[in-house]
Amino acid sequence: MPVNRKKLGALLFVLLATTAAAGSAAASHKGTPGVTSKQIVIGGTFPYSGPAALYKTIPSAEQAFYAYVNATYGGVHHRKIKDITLDDQYSPGETPGLVKQLVEKDHVFAIVGSLGTAPGLSTWGYLNKRHIPQVLLATGDAYWGNCVHHACQGSAKPWTMGWQPDYPGEAKLYAKYILKHKKGAKIGVLYQNDAFGKNYLTGLRTGLGSHASEIVDAEPYNVTDSGQVVGGHVVKIAGSGANVFVIFATPSAAIAALATEGQIPGWSPLTINSNVSANRIFMQIAAGNGAKPDGVLSTTYVASQTAQSNLPGMKLAKTIIHKYAPGGVGTLDQQFASGDNNLVYGLAVGWTFWDALKHSGKNPTRASLMHALRNMNETNNPFIYPKMVVKTSKKRTFPMEQLIFEKWHGGATGDWKTFGKVLNSGH
Amino acid sequence: MRPKIPALTSLLVVAAVLVILPFILSDYNISLAAQVGIFFIAVLGLNILTGYTGQISIGHGAFMAIGGYTTAVMSRDHGTNLVVTMLMAFAICFVVGLLVGLPALRLSGVYLALVTFALAVSVPYIPLQYSTFLGGSGGVNVRDSQIPSNLWVYKAAWTSSAILFVLAWLILRGRVGRAFRAIRDSEIAAVSSGVELPVYKTLAFGISAAYAGVAGSLFVLALNGFAQPSEFDVFLSLQILVGAAVAGLGSLWGILVGAAFVGLLPQVSSSVPVIGAQHGRDVVFGAAVILIMLLLPDGFAGLLARIRRLGSA
Amino acid sequence: MVSAATSRLEGVRGGSIDPGTVTVVLFLLGGAVFLLIGCLRSTTFAQLTIEGLAIGSVYGSLALALVLVYRATHVINFAQGELAMFTTYIAWDLMQHGLSYWPAFAATLAIAFALGTVLQVTLIRPVQHRSVIAVVIVTVGLFILIDGVVNWIWGGDFKLMKSPFGLGSFDVGGVPIRHLYVGMMVVVFVSVVLVWALFRFTKLGLGMRAAALRPDAAALVGVRVDSMLAIGWGLAAVLGAVAGLMAEPTQLFLTPVLMQQILVYAFAAAVLGGLESPAGALVGGLTIGVSLNLIVGYVPEKYVGSNLQLPLAFAVLLVILLVKPSGLFGRREVRRV
Repeated sequence: MPVNRKKLGALLFVLLATTAAAGSAAASHKGTPGVTSKQIVIGGTFPYSGPAALYKTIPSAEQAFYAYVNATYGGVHHRKIKDITLDDQYSPGETPGLVKQLVEKDHVFAIVGSLGTAPGLSTWGYLNKRHIPQVLLATGDAYWGNCVHHACQGSAKPWTMGWQPDYPGEAKLYAKYILKHKKGAKIGVLYQNDAFGKNYLTGLRTGLGSHASEIVDAEPYNVTDSGQVVGGHVVKIAGSGANVFVIFATPSAAIAALATEGQIPGWSPLTINSNVSANRIFMQIAAGNGAKPDGVLSTTYVASQTAQSNLPGMKLAKTIIHKYAPGGVGTLDQQFASGDNNLVYGLAVGWTFWDALKHSGKNPTRASLMHALRNMNETNNPFIYPKMVVKTSKKRTFPMEQLIFEKWHGGATGDWKTFGKVLNSGH
Repeated sequence: MRPKIPALTSLLVVAAVLVILPFILSDYNISLAAQVGIFFIAVLGLNILTGYTGQISIGHGAFMAIGGYTTAVMSRDHGTNLVVTMLMAFAICFVVGLLVGLPALRLSGVYLALVTFALAVSVPYIPLQYSTFLGGSGGVNVRDSQIPSNLWVYKAAWTSSAILFVLAWLILRGRVGRAFRAIRDSEIAAVSSGVELPVYKTLAFGISAAYAGVAGSLFVLALNGFAQPSEFDVFLSLQILVGAAVAGLGSLWGILVGAAFVGLLPQVSSSVPVIGAQHGRDVVFGAAVILIMLLLPDGFAGLLARIRRLGSA
Repeated sequence: MVSAATSRLEGVRGGSIDPGTVTVVLFLLGGAVFLLIGCLRSTTFAQLTIEGLAIGSVYGSLALALVLVYRATHVINFAQGELAMFTTYIAWDLMQHGLSYWPAFAATLAIAFALGTVLQVTLIRPVQHRSVIAVVIVTVGLFILIDGVVNWIWGGDFKLMKSPFGLGSFDVGGVPIRHLYVGMMVVVFVSVVLVWALFRFTKLGLGMRAAALRPDAAALVGVRVDSMLAIGWGLAAVLGAVAGLMAEPTQLFLTPVLMQQILVYAFAAAVLGGLESPAGALVGGLTIGVSLNLIVGYVPEKYVGSNLQLPLAFAVLLVILLVKPSGLFGRREVRRV
């Protein structure tokens, strides 16, 4: 009889709902979220797939580092670090859902190391509102340092912090270099059409000051554009007569740009590739696709496992990556040996987090973590460029403010070589 | 086939469960329950179009995008009350739906599927091109003060679901509903019995788009009030279509199951160990869709009907 | 016996030349002349045109696959693009295992054929007789499934595939024309000609045409209609594989989203040419490829940026379906009551 079927269905529904509820009710938390007597759970969003997937070795290195700390030191104050990394495909539309999951389902202690300017901006309101640390972000947007004490997009964001030297600071160094070494230059810029690219471009313009008109062509490209479309922009820049070519792009677009540049006959501008896409591996891929990398300039702030392999930090890096690669022992060795510098970057970030966590007290809270992060004086990070420091204070909201120039030598199998002094890129 | 008028018992049970759930669910699971509510509205809307007038749309994600952006932009620029923005989304999408429905009159079956698919793929590029007003790839955020809690979204989603369900029931039991069903069963017969095809077919598009618009508003609000093009990708349109297929025709339970299927399966499948992380979702979802179409042609409602027939045999 | 059935079909299709077709051909000739003049006058125009033709041939190849499937089974295979992407990954995988490019290419085409036939038999045949919606949903499910499987097996990151045509360019009167673009057009052309020859000159092709046009009559004369439909899907998968393999070098990296935008352009091309017209699909593909490339190349970014390529393709699709639903080369479809 129909009524019985309906009642059965209703009963089923109630049963299912109660089961679901029972499962979830158990997940209540006392004390600081993400901190138990045995574990500290952190999380982050990274591009394991999608247009920025060339960065996926960064979270792998961070995971390796925490595994190393857990195995060698038993964690921090006897708590092992667990890092939940999720794939947001570099898409700011995907990030909020994943961050909600990390915060509300996995109850992470902090969001650490997340990659991407636009993804970071899509969640910083939510995280700051809930007083959740969003720190050591893998992006150099100036907002991460400028909005600690001042309102940005409606409110101050004191719970957000970057790590690497900021984009405008880097761009200003490029501007200074151009003004000094290429008088009366004609500058063509390829930049990503979002907050990341625009942050760089603004910095370049500011650095050029009254010479900002030397930028004769600024071509925006979209993250979703194919290599062919990006190449079209480069062709246009070449057509504008530029003798300086600045690339503010994420890796796949930077590679496409360099590859196209190399195939335009009769055009050899001074080429500057921002450090987010200067990884040795990327340059080699570009060279394999037609780029002419010799003479390209960039900057760095992390030690190089190929150019500085004798540094104790680089030897440690090699061991950690070998033993603790998330996919199993030795799975990232080839990548490391080829010079994927993002592996060292990830280790360096992990180190800073470990450093701060050690200074957050025996029973860390989100507030104590932020306090430790805002009062750092880290001179012994073995993975960053020698003699550089990670330093924060009430006034100094950008942890790293130093860069050194590098130039590419040796063609398709070559490498970067730093030159000049360590420069201040700060404010 | 007359629409299944749910017995009062079912309605009361569902209502009771919905009222009790927030008290026993964790905050995160409340957000999941809200997702089901959001898909309920979208699937209900598509059901009216496809199930009742037989017009296919693989593009309802586009209407969700319009609704979602309406809410985000109105909040960003004017701080408009969120419920008011939902009403605006309903109205705007109704009009857009009518406009889409007009050319759709001349298309049928496969052609309409093609056009709506292309619509779904292209609409996300519009905010990218007109980035000053529509935020570009950085998206549009509602005002900080207006970011809703999971509980608010849950209540808004299910209250809207209830209201829109009753509205649909009222529409479908009346003259309009009879006209819709006549069109689905045979357009030619409908015309010859006096049904003005263009009016009713366009109306169906308008109504289903309006529903999707409201779902879109809630969808954006559920994501901390952040609207961004990639949230409205093709997969979203496919989810709604699949939800409607799983639901089958005209049954409250069917639509609930369809909405739960598309709203929750991605969450569940991400923990399927063999397939791993986020791509488990696609494999399980795709396989489930194919299996359901092969084995359960009339969706969940058809399954219920079969069980019912077994029971009364 | 088969030839008897199809010779009647030939008669149906022969007859006088449709004035509509004449107009279209003249219009296309005019367009070709315009392009030629533009190429001679401007290097940029020439480069954009060649590039547009090359990518247009990829659109045409996928569009042709869609048309093949539609003619045979009256189904639009929404998963055609993902299938093409899947076969491209198979090619990559074969090359990782040591095969060099052209052997891997050939092997991939064979695998694509097998895959296409298997999919038709297992997934489409059971639902074919049901509503259009049912079949659409199955192909949609296949779209999602293939996407998930590729991500699962190979991951969603970037794979490198060496372009078979290298990085060089021909110098034609001062205009650098990449070997790649010429190669793309040649490969697609050859594949299309081979498939056409199969249909036109072989008994199998005759059987397939019979099965598509008059399945009942064909069955009566001994054509195994079901097998013909499966083979049609197999050939479509082959053309899709060609499209995927030729598209990959233009994107520098192989990723799962390889064919997602191309599918929409292929839809537009197929509809532009007429869903039942193979020649139309190709011409449609070339037209869309060249037009979009020229528009994006010449119109300033802020009016029509690269972001509007897909909406423009959608607009073309919509306009054609409203104004001339049978496309440029198709015939008006009569709905039997």
